[in-house]
Amino acid sequence: MLRWHPTCHNYKDLTKSIQLSTGGIWGEKAKKKKKSPGSGTGWPQVFGGEASVSRSVLGVRAMSPVIRRALPVRTSAARCFPASSRLVLAPPASPRPAGLRDACRPAAGPKAKGPACLTMGPPSREAWAQRLSAFRASPSAFMAGPEGEDLGRDLLSDLRSEKLNEQTKVSLLALSLEYPAQLWPDAPAAEAAASSLLDTLVLLPPRPSALRKPLLLAATTALVAGGALGPTSGASLRLLPLLLGLASGRDLGRGFGPASEQRPLQATACECLRELESCQPGLLGGCLGLLRGLLGQEGAVGPVQPLSLLLALALRNTLVIQARAGAGLQGLLVAGSSGTGGSPWTWTLAEEGAAHLQPQAPSWLAAEEGECGLAALEPNPEEARELRAAVAQLLDTSYLLAPVAQAQLLWLLGWALRGLRGQLPVLFKTQLVRLLGTAQLTLLHAVLALKAAFGEALFTAQDEDLLLRRLTAAAQHPAVPPPAHLFYLHCLLHFPENCPLGPTGEEAAPLLLGPQLCRGLLPSLLHDPMALLARLHLLCLLCAEDEEKEEKGQGQSPQLYLEDLLAGLRQRAALDGAPRALATLCFQASYLVAHCLAGQPTVMTALTHGLVQLYRDRPVLAPHFVDLLDQVGPELGEPLRVALQQEVVARPGKDEALRWHLQMLAKVADGDAQSGTLSFLQAAAAHCKDWGLQQALLQVCRALLRAGVRGGLADLLQALAWQLEDPDGRDHARLYYVLLAHLATPKLQVALGPSLVAPALASSLVAENQGFVAALMVQEAPAPIQLSVGPRRAEGPIPVLQLQVEVLEPVYSLELRFRVEGQLYAPLGAVHVPCLCPARPARPLLLPLQPRRPAPTRLDVRALYTTLTGLTCHAHLPPLPVTFADLFLPFPQPPEGTELGFFEELWDSCLPKGTESRLWCPLGPEGLEALVSRHLEPFVMVAQPPSSYHIAIRLPPDSRLLLRLEAAQADGVPVALRTDDWAVLPLAGDYLRGLSAAA
Amino acid sequence: MAQRAMWLISHEPGTLLRGTVRFSRRYPTVEKRAKVFNGATYMPIPEDDPFLKALLFELRLLDDDKDFVESRDSCSHINKTSIYGLPVGGEELWPVVAFQKNGMIYACVPLVEQTLSPRPPLISISGISQGFELLFGIQDFLYSGQKNDTELNTKLSQLPDLLLQACPFGTLLDANLQNSLDSINFASVTHPQKQPAWKAGTYKGKPQVSISITEKVKSMQYDKRDVADTWQVDGAVTCKCDLEGIMPNVTISLSLPTNGSPLQDILVHPCVTSLDSAILTSSSIDAMDDSAFSGPYKFPFTPPLESFNLCYYTSQVPVPPILGFYQMKEEEVQLKIAVNLKLHESVKNNFEFCEAHIPFYNRGPITHVEYKVSFGQLEVFREKSLLIWIIGQKFPKSMEIGLSGTVTFGAKGHEKQPFDQICIGGTAYLKLHFRILDYTLTGCYADQHSVQVFASGKPKISTNRKLISSDYYIWNSKAPAPSPLPQLKKKQLHFKGIPIPEA
Repeated sequence: MLRWHPTCHNYKDLTKSIQLSTGGIWGEKAKKKKKSPGSGTGWPQVFGGEASVSRSVLGVRAMSPVIRRALPVRTSAARCFPASSRLVLAPPASPRPAGLRDACRPAAGPKAKGPACLTMGPPSREAWAQRLSAFRASPSAFMAGPEGEDLGRDLLSDLRSEKLNEQTKVSLLALSLEYPAQLWPDAPAAEAAASSLLDTLVLLPPRPSALRKPLLLAATTALVAGGALGPTSGASLRLLPLLLGLASGRDLGRGFGPASEQRPLQATACECLRELESCQPGLLGGCLGLLRGLLGQEGAVGPVQPLSLLLALALRNTLVIQARAGAGLQGLLVAGSSGTGGSPWTWTLAEEGAAHLQPQAPSWLAAEEGECGLAALEPNPEEARELRAAVAQLLDTSYLLAPVAQAQLLWLLGWALRGLRGQLPVLFKTQLVRLLGTAQLTLLHAVLALKAAFGEALFTAQDEDLLLRRLTAAAQHPAVPPPAHLFYLHCLLHFPENCPLGPTGEEAAPLLLGPQLCRGLLPSLLHDPMALLARLHLLCLLCAEDEEKEEKGQGQSPQLYLEDLLAGLRQRAALDGAPRALATLCFQASYLVAHCLAGQPTVMTALTHGLVQLYRDRPVLAPHFVDLLDQVGPELGEPLRVALQQEVVARPGKDEALRWHLQMLAKVADGDAQSGTLSFLQAAAAHCKDWGLQQALLQVCRALLRAGVRGGLADLLQALAWQLEDPDGRDHARLYYVLLAHLATPKLQVALGPSLVAPALASSLVAENQGFVAALMVQEAPAPIQLSVGPRRAEGPIPVLQLQVEVLEPVYSLELRFRVEGQLYAPLGAVHVPCLCPARPARPLLLPLQPRRPAPTRLDVRALYTTLTGLTCHAHLPPLPVTFADLFLPFPQPPEGTELGFFEELWDSCLPKGTESRLWCPLGPEGLEALVSRHLEPFVMVAQPPSSYHIAIRLPPDSRLLLRLEAAQADGVPVALRTDDWAVLPLAGDYLRGLSAAA
Repeated sequence: MAQRAMWLISHEPGTLLRGTVRFSRRYPTVEKRAKVFNGATYMPIPEDDPFLKALLFELRLLDDDKDFVESRDSCSHINKTSIYGLPVGGEELWPVVAFQKNGMIYACVPLVEQTLSPRPPLISISGISQGFELLFGIQDFLYSGQKNDTELNTKLSQLPDLLLQACPFGTLLDANLQNSLDSINFASVTHPQKQPAWKAGTYKGKPQVSISITEKVKSMQYDKRDVADTWQVDGAVTCKCDLEGIMPNVTISLSLPTNGSPLQDILVHPCVTSLDSAILTSSSIDAMDDSAFSGPYKFPFTPPLESFNLCYYTSQVPVPPILGFYQMKEEEVQLKIAVNLKLHESVKNNFEFCEAHIPFYNRGPITHVEYKVSFGQLEVFREKSLLIWIIGQKFPKSMEIGLSGTVTFGAKGHEKQPFDQICIGGTAYLKLHFRILDYTLTGCYADQHSVQVFASGKPKISTNRKLISSDYYIWNSKAPAPSPLPQLKKKQLHFKGIPIPEA
């Protein structure tokens, strides 16, 4: 017997909807029967009208043709509607085109009728609930399973089922809101789904329904997520007028629900439009005037927030797109200018915008590099006035918006207007005082965004100070939740200052944030780990500044405080049985300090002593020590290594913590203090009873082998080869002994070094199984290869070094490895050459460089190759210099005639970030022309030979060097020089002075 | 400025997975944008299970920290914000905003509108603050007034509908979910006037305004010459305005008596329409002097429907309400303790309750106590290794009370006795719990007559205030104690932001 869940419906509503979907015939029957709902006799017939037969009983494959037929017919019937809003919105109760009525019939076709299907029932609420939860547990697994294929189709058809209650339908729609890509994976399926959803919407009876809103959202989501949105999509052309009609509060007829639902739907429609505009920027460019009108309306008005946000987004997108296209605002802001004639959808604008989505709030770092591009938009006075009015209108009502929405509005408008000439930033001023008073995270963040967007134009130095103080207060205020404290701390270290001193992008305490302001932000042992580390970082920055200023002797320095804190952390980590998190925190703090204050020997010394003490107290932390030694630089790493080695070998070798000592020693042992190390190992060997300990012991031996320890080690290995209990251990000891006895030190180092292909592994056993034998074959050899730098290329996006290679004997499978000294360049890839012969000249090898700073360097070069006799050899080649000039790249050639303007723009853009200088470049007898043509030809932007040249040089990664060589005299030429990078100045000076010498 | 997905996860230590995804929501249209914006660095949102595992691991909630795991324990793996990169399937999902509160983990992934490599600074990502606000909003909604699991489940089941209202496409429209719930229920027809989005409907009924001031006092007392005692007051003013009309205007003034302590670091609710610059600039960072602004503090605002926190403040009061010392010494097998507490004469000697809790950490259960109190009673919780000194409603006339005695402990059991990472050896504290009604330490009050309401009808105005203790510690002066700021030594200054040790 078919079950009808008692809570699913009320009869009146059901009757109406049945009337609707069946043309009234069965509906009449239902009406007559409605007084005896419990009898059940009337219902089966009614239900027979709908095609839903339980597929759990009949089987999916058996029934799906009916549904398959039903759905497309409905959909195509819906498509018969002209794509105008009037018809689409026709209330379902009104007489409808025959097509639709017919379309509805097959769903109630003869096959579905009759007692057979009645006993089976539709997929019930419970069945759907089960299906949905199975899907949610793992969408991918569900879709791969037998039920996956039909889910999307079933969902769409059951949305119209009379047998499911609204709540279940809402949960079906919720699923389609989250997983449209799984349900309807391609654009045609998404288009069909959106059409079907719109049909369902139109077919809803004119009573209040919880489905209208999610149906609108679902149709929008399906179109966007499926990539179906576009001018040729029927569903798009139905949805858009419907949304705009709803958003503008037009009377869409009784079919669109009761009046009480209009306002929520108006808001929903605005949200849908906003999402469409977000994903297809420029789409609503033609509706700006209309939206402004709606927002400014007197009397019964629409909801302010959705309209404001929609207008702000559309305005922002239009500004960016028009600026990019070099077009003006073309009266788009004036109400009514777009609505007349043609469609309000600006697909053309949208197409231009779609190529690159518009960040609603672009990264301010990117914006600083001039990517904003709004400067191109120069509105005429009329347009500027309209624009200002529109922005003012939005800002004036912004207090009516929820705080998070206010923040969005500010981000949008702030970044929309950045770069536009005029008095616009002032418009924001009135909002600031109100915003600075709140503790709302989004609002304060939005103020910071405005600060980054407008800088001094909106925030004077006093304002900046106030903002910093508010931020500092918020970062520690008891009323602010801890995650927000941490975010504010982050904002402090990335504060967009009016006049930043340091390099952009690095964490630094703002200039105005003195010790006084930071007093409340110091770390304490009582903080949770994240807060402690965040505050510790700030403290480290203060200590670094303190050192620079050398203001000592005034009370207790931050340094002493830092040391106290670290001591406290170590004390806690040393606590027996303390959770690992405490140890981790202690080592993270030590790492942070070593990272920030590496240049301060006193801090490093205290840290080293403290850590050694910690090891003494708790050797079980050895893995943390090994990790720390791997991560820190030599300033802490080297003294700590030495101290730890001394600490370990001073222990008797039978400690309980032997395992940890051996692990520690494998990391820190080297050629120094061999006798101590060896006697420790000797003593330890007697206690290494199990395989693990023996392996740990052998790891240390291996480390000593690599470090070049020979003498006593041979004795130890010999003893181990005889003494160890485990045969595997004995074998290894013997192998090491043989290696030691037969290989020269460099070869041993290569043989035992970390595997070239696989990362070093903890177990000696595994390490040896991975290409150990192959590694043994590598021979250290004097290089038969000569490498030199060829002529400069000065082209392409990055500098490329041309290497000339010559060999003295045939070399095969040559691999050249380059290492840059310091961190100046990104790691360089190896260069491979299959074969080189002395007689045949080789083509130059190209080595792309990726400088992180435009600075010269030296490349350490190693070669790995196979000789004619089949031996694999390794050779160290003389270092290769990379000069400053090797990094020069030309700017792209501007169109003819605009070179001078382009150069001037570059010239102007260097300041105020960069610097300017003048110097005298002595000339040889050949004069300026020859000098330029020899050294600077590719970079000449404007030339007036023989006396004046404008030269623009790009210095990767992102610096530039501009030279004006003008009014050359016989013995030299004055050079005006500008660069946007301070650090380049001395290099450029040396280079220019060196030119004449080279000539 | 949008969220790609969000999750609510209940942390369930001891179970197989250590947690369950209670709610999750994905936003496919935002995902579509993420794919374009992030380009080659795009990483899709994982399914719930792998996300859960990765998050619990990153938050160290898998209670499996026996071994050193580099990806979690490495010293260079430093998180200074509640924003994480989660390794999922060999790639990293970033940024994941996540925090834990009341056994629930709140997480979301904001959209980053650019490439993710190199990582842009968080400050430049608008979705970060929005993500936090969304999660805070959900947290407020779930835990406001919620008392048991059934209520929590009811509220969780309301979330899908609420988010359809408050965050339909991943862009948060209102963090106040209660307001969203109200606006679902208030289906009013037309509005003759512009209605604020943060006010779902209008109030009908008797006009009334209630204002309540709650001050919390924290303190750290050491009774040591070289470490400064510290104390701090922070207050919250809560209002409920039942007034007719869409935009009634109200002005509330907070006043101080002549010897009151100025309010500082004032943070106001966004409904406050304007602020005096003296209010905006009064900050605890500045040294206190007589010229400090001392009110009245005027807050003009248009109230929302629900009860809200009009403002928060801090203050530096000249003395702590109760000054005391705690001396504890280990003598052979027992601890000798002595406590002395003194109520300051300026403080209202009329408590709702007043207790001193004296816990003993990292020891066995209490087996024997001998004590003498000059006032009140002592309760002994043997298994919890805790003494509670119930002081009652009033201090005696002398304003000073004392406790002395010896405590003996049994053998340290496994896990039953409390562990604490700060109270090692002699380091120990006692914690005061008290509440005084109709009193504030700063003296701050809201005068009924100074409340201005511009709305129809004369409203009934009610005010109340109270002082409660929060993190009021007195440390054992005979052993090292975690002192907050050594550079303040020998100077009586106030510190801020010291959190509670795990008790």
